[in-house]
Amino acid sequence: MNEFTILMHLLSDRSNKFQIGVSKREILNKLNLNGKNESLHFETLITQLSNYIEPLGLQIRFNPLSSHWYLAFQIEASDYVSANPFADKPRLAATLFYTLICCLERLGVAKIQRIKELRKKKRIIDDLKDLEKEGYLELDENLGIVKLTPLIGYQLDINKLIIKLALKLKK
Amino acid sequence: MEEFKDYSEEINRRIEEIQTKVLSGEIVLLDTELVSIFENLKNSLNIDNLNRYSSVYKNAFHLLIQKFEELKILINNIDRKEGFLKFLRLKPPDSEINNLLSGCWVKPFNIESLSFNFLESAKEKLNIKKGNPATIDQVEKMEVKGTFLLEISEQKFTEKMSEFYNRIKNQLPCGFEDIFESEQDQIKIYENFVYLLHLLQLGKIKYQKETNFLYL
Repeated sequence: MNEFTILMHLLSDRSNKFQIGVSKREILNKLNLNGKNESLHFETLITQLSNYIEPLGLQIRFNPLSSHWYLAFQIEASDYVSANPFADKPRLAATLFYTLICCLERLGVAKIQRIKELRKKKRIIDDLKDLEKEGYLELDENLGIVKLTPLIGYQLDINKLIIKLALKLKK
Repeated sequence: MEEFKDYSEEINRRIEEIQTKVLSGEIVLLDTELVSIFENLKNSLNIDNLNRYSSVYKNAFHLLIQKFEELKILINNIDRKEGFLKFLRLKPPDSEINNLLSGCWVKPFNIESLSFNFLESAKEKLNIKKGNPATIDQVEKMEVKGTFLLEISEQKFTEKMSEFYNRIKNQLPCGFEDIFESEQDQIKIYENFVYLLHLLQLGKIKYQKETNFLYL
């Protein structure tokens, strides 16, 4: 038993439907790391564990929506299809993409009306309800707002998506 | 000895190729992997090709700076959220959005086989202060006048004692006799016995009389 075993448990633990892994503060507390060098210790541990698990086909990732560190499989190009939770529901994926962009625009919360205006498709509310059922967002029809749960941050590399989108726009 | 090859020409050719494609607009540096170039440089560098490699490194580094410049421009673009909304207003088809999303999916890994109680007990163990590892201070060798008739080993006594300690520490705890079991040479057994006595006196190894056991 050592720090790596504990880290493996913390990083792979699912606390609820939307939350996997652990925040930096929780890691520091669980490993009893404190003091002025705590961040350095944290980075060393994450880097070393990352090197350790790489041959197993695993990697450590950061979810910007929940500020949680978690474990994921390294995906080969051929596996992207199997990792896509919307492989048979492209419409839902597109609605989630619109929601994501609208949420980014307004600090994590988007107006349902705004998504409707941009998406210009019928049954947007049904899509949003389906996405809520899947655990991707929280819908408040009374206030007319929608909020993302951290779930999509675990299943989608948001940084990569934004860079891809920025490159597309640049072209 | 391993023979290193000189890949400077091939690496330079690869750099030139990338630069030509960038200038013609065929590729953008942000989409181009440069790690392999630096890996090749690092792995095949030796004292014989140092001069040639330094100029290749300069060219590769120039390429990297260009990539950073592209990244700076990209980050400035990312900051403009309006651009993303503009994309949405273009009403891209679902297939185009799914193309964007492809290659960005992640498969999380989670196991719940380690219970929290187990984790807590492990944490308690981690909190226990660990003692400093045993160290053996080397004794200074003194210059003496005159010669000795006795043959003296070139190695310091403490060094030999350390070697003996490192050799047996993984064997401990074990019975007193077990330490000498594999040795047939009586002189060597006596020598090891002397080291053991010193190590016991220094407290690096402990002895339990009742069970005739040695332990750390």
